[in-house]
Amino acid sequence: MAMDAIPSETASPGRDRTALLRGGTRPSPRLLERKTRLIDLKAEGQPNLWLLGGALSIAIVMILSLVLLVLWNGLATFWPKPIAVVTLTDGSLVAGEPSRTATFRVGQEVLATLPPETQAEIAANGGYANRTLYRTGNFDLYGDDFRWVADFQTRAKEFPRDMVLFERQEWGVFVGRLASFVRDGRTVTVTDPWADEVRQAHRIARDRFLQIRTIQRVEIGEVNHYLESERLRLRKAALRYPEGSRELEAARARFVEREAFYQRRFEELSARAQALMREHEAETVTLVEIGGRERVQPLGTIVRFYPANDVNFLQKLGIYGSRWLEFLTDEPREANTEGGILPALFGTVALTLLLVVFVTPFGVITAIYLREYAKQGKLVSAVRVSVNNLAGVPSIVYGVFGVGFFAYTVGGSIDALFYPEKLPSPTFGTGGLLWAALTLALLTVPVVIVASEEALAAVPRSMREGSLACGASKWQTIRYIVLPRALPGIMTGVILAMARGAGEVAPLMLVGVVKLAPELPIDGFFPFIHLERSFMHLGFHIFDVGFQSRNSEAGKPMVYTTTLLLIFLILVMNLTAITIRNRLKRKFAGSQF
Amino acid sequence: MKKVLLAGIAAIALSSHAFAQAIQIDPLLPNYTPVSGISGSLKSVGSDTMNNLMTLWAEGFLAMYPNVRIEIEGKGSSTAPPALIAGTAQFGPMSREMNQRERDAFQQRFGYPPAVIRGAIDALAVYVHKDNPIRCLTLQQVDAIFSKTRRGGHPTDITTWGQLGLTGEWATRPISLYGRNSASGTYGYFKEVALFRGDYKDQVKEQPGSSTVVQGVASDRFAIGYSGIGYKTADVRAVPLASRPGETCYDATVENAVSGDYPLARFLYVYTNANPNQQMDPLRREFIRFIFSRQGQEATIKDGYFPITRAIAEDDMKAMGLSFAGN
Repeated sequence: MAMDAIPSETASPGRDRTALLRGGTRPSPRLLERKTRLIDLKAEGQPNLWLLGGALSIAIVMILSLVLLVLWNGLATFWPKPIAVVTLTDGSLVAGEPSRTATFRVGQEVLATLPPETQAEIAANGGYANRTLYRTGNFDLYGDDFRWVADFQTRAKEFPRDMVLFERQEWGVFVGRLASFVRDGRTVTVTDPWADEVRQAHRIARDRFLQIRTIQRVEIGEVNHYLESERLRLRKAALRYPEGSRELEAARARFVEREAFYQRRFEELSARAQALMREHEAETVTLVEIGGRERVQPLGTIVRFYPANDVNFLQKLGIYGSRWLEFLTDEPREANTEGGILPALFGTVALTLLLVVFVTPFGVITAIYLREYAKQGKLVSAVRVSVNNLAGVPSIVYGVFGVGFFAYTVGGSIDALFYPEKLPSPTFGTGGLLWAALTLALLTVPVVIVASEEALAAVPRSMREGSLACGASKWQTIRYIVLPRALPGIMTGVILAMARGAGEVAPLMLVGVVKLAPELPIDGFFPFIHLERSFMHLGFHIFDVGFQSRNSEAGKPMVYTTTLLLIFLILVMNLTAITIRNRLKRKFAGSQF
Repeated sequence: MKKVLLAGIAAIALSSHAFAQAIQIDPLLPNYTPVSGISGSLKSVGSDTMNNLMTLWAEGFLAMYPNVRIEIEGKGSSTAPPALIAGTAQFGPMSREMNQRERDAFQQRFGYPPAVIRGAIDALAVYVHKDNPIRCLTLQQVDAIFSKTRRGGHPTDITTWGQLGLTGEWATRPISLYGRNSASGTYGYFKEVALFRGDYKDQVKEQPGSSTVVQGVASDRFAIGYSGIGYKTADVRAVPLASRPGETCYDATVENAVSGDYPLARFLYVYTNANPNQQMDPLRREFIRFIFSRQGQEATIKDGYFPITRAIAEDDMKAMGLSFAGN
């Protein structure tokens, strides 16, 4: 290739010179000098070097700035921000976390209502003014949770030490002051949010709240689960045996007995939960917003509270950590805009691992056949071309195929055969983790096939021949000589497939990802792993919070944080795979000829 | 209209809005009390406008019945009737009424019409950028902005802000249009009421979600778009609307929506399959009772919509053979 390039490079300057001579103008010595320098650079291939290097650096800058943007916004989301109290020119007060500022052109209508000196000030500024967006919270009182305040509306701005930010189980944050709380039937007035008594009361109330939730979710959940399976058992018996038969009567009797048993258990548990609930509702806390309006609610519904302008660095770090912990280990609240993302995180990891479990054997077996056994000819070439083309099919098409073939056809048949008692509500006949993993496996299998084929081809012929010469059969050669040495290359293919699969969203929306899946696909009931359940996914979560949530302003930080987590997750999975690959490489490095 | 304009300027000029009062729930709506033995799974397929509302209802319901499974899919109101007919979903939230064809298809399959739950009230808002000084629009103007057929009767096509009486830098600026995609019930409702069943202009940028419309308007100073009132942010403003030229403009508030003064107020519906000759299964019955309870209606406020009254709830429940006392 280099040989081809040189003559053409030298030819073009020659043509240039003749052209100059024909034109009749003599080039000045300086121009000539520059020309020659250029020729030299060109001859050395310098422009190409610059082009390639430039392209690389542009790519790196773009990737880095994207990662930095996500990192900056994602990491800053949970850091406690101060609360400003702004006194407006009309005397009213606004309290909130300053979230961003912008410059805007003041409209004529607004300008006309302003005092002359403000007008002059704005005019001196070219008709522009600044404004700040405050996150005022208190949606239940205001009907809004963000508010723009222009600088010319602001008379004073301060950061009082007693302003408290309350994160609540419902209704989003509350910005205001702590007034009092009820403990054992008596009202305790408290102003210092760090005071031991309120902290202790909060801890107790919060524990009680979590206890109620455990009773409701885990214990009552268990009773309901068994009750449901009894009901299904009866349904099954009714489907199998004719009306009036002995078996059906026995099943009915059993159901009545069991139902009564679980009913009693349910009533016990719910009485316990009710009792706790009464305590929970009796211990209230009174919050006062900046305008003096009060809000009374159970202390246990406050997730976290801190005086935003009176926290030192260590306390901030503690709040930051506890928010991250909640984010990673809790379920979403308030239609996914608050709380944690555990189900989505779990769904993404489970989906990716399942994808690997499906895609690796498929891809590797295909590659071995294509490379080792198939007679290289037109048919095999056609298969190869088809495989490569598969990689170019839009992913949504795979989604349509997944829902049509896997969920409706295969899943529907499974339901009819094995779960008739649950019909018409589908078990496997709708989108779920299993179908999503299979769809993604189809989507990524070309990557694995191509990479595995390359890896198999790279194993030296001498090794195969050596093995065959020692009397090993073809399969033994593949199994003990070729495959181990090709493993690192196959792993590369799997890593690529994983990265592609974990970031894919479009097909998942059709085959089982939902906005809210209250249960993880894994739990304490037989068969423990429920692959038929629909699940949540980080990628879809990002789309949902960013574009479907009520207040897109409030959702924005969550989008960045979730994106950060998704990138981090893919990084961790890739690093694990790379480590395994390197270990394999080292293992076989010594045994090469 | 001039007077209204001036009054509007005085009221809204300084602070973009006075702090809205908390919306009250009809005190006659009952508190929801859980009953025993509820389990199983529910699936809801339908409106994207009601996606969050359904999620909030589901969250509230799950807090009472932890072992119920609820799945929510929201790709547009038009996806609800097929899902109900095929039986893949028990509930079909829709931001518009089912049309005759969808109703007929349902009736043909089951022999009875679908049951309807009017779960919340929404004021479909026409949003502009927060700096936009426009004070009032009539439906005829809205029609002339969004529609190429102008069935509303406005004499001329409106393409610039100047034609709506704005001055200064706004006068010559073209109006940039944001709307919903055609699967959405919001698209259908807006077409029917604001466009007088006319056709949308080709320039309308069709967005995949209610929130995307608001984000589009928030980032484009000269934009106008329509979306549910629940999706309002601090970056956009809902324009007061009048139903006819010369009439008073009404804000998209709960009072105006309930009284019917605000021209784009609508119910948000949840359709379900209720066989009149059979008792409804306990799971669905309880979910409906939950929607019509104090807790369920609190969720509508939480999502930015307006709660319904006990009278509406009683009507709908009676039609399904249910009552507040439980059965």
